[in-house]
Amino acid sequence: MAKPNTVQHSNAVATAWQFTEQVPHGRELGMQVVSVDQGQVCMRLTPQSWMFAHEDTKEICTSVLYSLADSAGGLAVFAGALELMPIATLDLRMDYLRPASGDQALLAVATCRHLTDEVAFIHCDILNEGNRELLATANATFMRNTQGQQFHAGGRGKESA
Amino acid sequence: MSTTGDSAQHISGAAESGKECADWQALLERIPYARHLGLEVQRGDAGVLVHLPCREALIGNFMLPALHGGVLGALIELTARVAAQSQDAEIRCPRILDSHINYLRSAKARSTFARADIIRQGRRTSLVQVTCWQGDENKPIATGQVQLLLPTMAAQQEDRHGH
Repeated sequence: MAKPNTVQHSNAVATAWQFTEQVPHGRELGMQVVSVDQGQVCMRLTPQSWMFAHEDTKEICTSVLYSLADSAGGLAVFAGALELMPIATLDLRMDYLRPASGDQALLAVATCRHLTDEVAFIHCDILNEGNRELLATANATFMRNTQGQQFHAGGRGKESA
Repeated sequence: MSTTGDSAQHISGAAESGKECADWQALLERIPYARHLGLEVQRGDAGVLVHLPCREALIGNFMLPALHGGVLGALIELTARVAAQSQDAEIRCPRILDSHINYLRSAKARSTFARADIIRQGRRTSLVQVTCWQGDENKPIATGQVQLLLPTMAAQQEDRHGH
């Protein structure tokens, strides 16, 4: 198998980054990609009051952390694989270590732990931006090269075999 | 809602089911994020259901289009939370400890439904299984297990004293 060159690598990550920022649900939650560096993805989310779990506390609903982990995990598949292909989440397991306070931004740090031709194993940590306290951890499995629509973002998508 | 191994739940009358729907709706409406998603409680053939109406902002893949995996995560977690809370004699507000969700089929951009089965309701924890489907209830698109902690009086007092 020919090894893709670095230009293709950066194109694949740039396209996946662009795709991630275009996802309607990610836009609604205000998710931003901060960096993709050596296979590690960092995303950020600024909490808003409609994301809370309770009226009276400013605790962010765990499901918002879940969405952030799913999005960061998906981008980490491309950061690890360095090629574009349709992917699908097979399963995702979240452990909520601490309540997430609504007055601090959330950071998601996701990495691809292992990659096979068919599957990507992802780990993601959700942290408080302020004190870097670990709020939640996620482990997810993504299927690679799923059937159906091919990956296109801004017309620069690549057909996968 | 059904409780695994409890046949009494299956013979509950329509009036009781109506009250259960109202109780669930009231609990959901206390959750700002549930209100934002527009979650609504409905009475299904086998018990209470939670309906997630589709809208564009819930899309995770605009090429298919498909719902975002995190939207199904929210439907499952919030359904589990309300199921566990409504089952608790003191209606204590549970804390979600963990959730594990399996995605079985592609989630299309359309109405999604969820039902909860309580696997175990303990004194301190509740384990809830949630099944999601669109169109055909026999073709689930996702299932999830959510573990919740029901706060004890001691823990609530500790919170109040800021420990």
